[in-house]
Amino acid sequence: MSTTPFDHYARGHHDHDHAHDHDHDDHQQPNPANEHDNGPPGEYEIMSRAMQELLEAKGIISAEQVRKRMELFDEEFPYRGAQVVARAWVDAAFKTRLIADGRAACAEMGALLEAERLIAVENTPDVHNIIVCTLCSCYPRALLGMPPTWYKSRNYRSRVVFEPRAVLREFGTELPDNVTVRVHDSNADMRYLVVPMRPAGTEGWSEEKLAGLISRDMLVGVTVPRVPV
Amino acid sequence: MKTIPSDIGGEPAGPVDTIDHGMKHWERQANAFRSVVQMHGITRTDELRRAAEELGSRYKDMHYFEITTSAMRAVLLEKGLFTEQELAAKMAEIRARFDVPDEMDSPIKKAASK
Amino acid sequence: MNARAQAKSTYAPAPVHRFQIGDRVVVKRAFPPGHRRTPQYIRGKQGVIERICGAFPNPEELAYGFDGLPEKVLYRVRFLQTQVWQKYAGPANDIIEMEIFEHWLEPVQN
Repeated sequence: MSTTPFDHYARGHHDHDHAHDHDHDDHQQPNPANEHDNGPPGEYEIMSRAMQELLEAKGIISAEQVRKRMELFDEEFPYRGAQVVARAWVDAAFKTRLIADGRAACAEMGALLEAERLIAVENTPDVHNIIVCTLCSCYPRALLGMPPTWYKSRNYRSRVVFEPRAVLREFGTELPDNVTVRVHDSNADMRYLVVPMRPAGTEGWSEEKLAGLISRDMLVGVTVPRVPV
Repeated sequence: MKTIPSDIGGEPAGPVDTIDHGMKHWERQANAFRSVVQMHGITRTDELRRAAEELGSRYKDMHYFEITTSAMRAVLLEKGLFTEQELAAKMAEIRARFDVPDEMDSPIKKAASK
Repeated sequence: MNARAQAKSTYAPAPVHRFQIGDRVVVKRAFPPGHRRTPQYIRGKQGVIERICGAFPNPEELAYGFDGLPEKVLYRVRFLQTQVWQKYAGPANDIIEMEIFEHWLEPVQN
């Protein structure tokens, strides 16, 4: 295996700490192409690393905490949202609890969210929900992982509030005029989760199989689940 | 007239690139670092948001993690967790560790492609 | 570990609040400097209280390192898109909702 300077950079002197843990190089990552960056570290990368090392040196945080957090963001957080929605699809009482108090319902499934409140909004034949944060990029990270590039983009944040249907079309989602589009600008203390409609043709499916139908984009409301034909 | 650079709802803009381009390795570090700092109660989200807004006209030309990293720097300096001098010295140390000069065109690329 | 044991409710509506669900409100049309969580495009617009989220430390104070106390009541307000954007191209039923703190809201006089 070739070792790039970034391998060394990423691991620093901590290799020996977790060599007995599990081998990250063999572990599948959501974005394997981005596992290592090419080229020399840029100014902001050096700045971020320097701040981390300064706080480590002062005993305020540890490299282990940061590494553990990276793992959670990569390997656990991105899949929780689909599991929560699949549960809601098969368990009506759970769905009621999820809509009433999203954070408590997620905690039932072992997903402890960073945000104080989670508002789950349900798509119906009459209403389609879509989430944006125009002011920054508020997002339920401990439930959906990191927001995708487009969620943080100027074009999405600027436009989805005043032309949501045009933006939805860019995602391939066409909604008839009799469906109300309900935009949520996630601008303060709440975080949001769209509960899509369970597609027809999934009767009798297991929770796990249903979760496989659900992508992050559906939970932000830019696409809707379909049964593959 | 927008007075806050991050307050962009309602502005005309181009089509959305609907592909998720993922995160670079350093962005994952920066994100996890921010998350840990937040968990320790060292910074508040609202402070980081405010510091991002204070980037002013620079905001629109910066990438997401450049903005968040700049904001983190500003807030940690405000709180006295380190000084400008300490940060500059640490950054110089890291540059030297990876043979990155202050200017661009580092020889590290050539070394890496061997 | 019993995950269910951790599932305590976080939903705590503010005991004292100025507006009720369904009340018509207008967002203050003000442009003070500093950190604000009320987007500029919604200032001066009329909407209806959708829910009362609870009381939260004031982000306008937290942003500068203060404790944000006393807490401010946070609402979700629902707006008709056609009342927010003069040239809204979609159907008249389309809506937009967001969180707005009480001190940014005024009652609409009938």
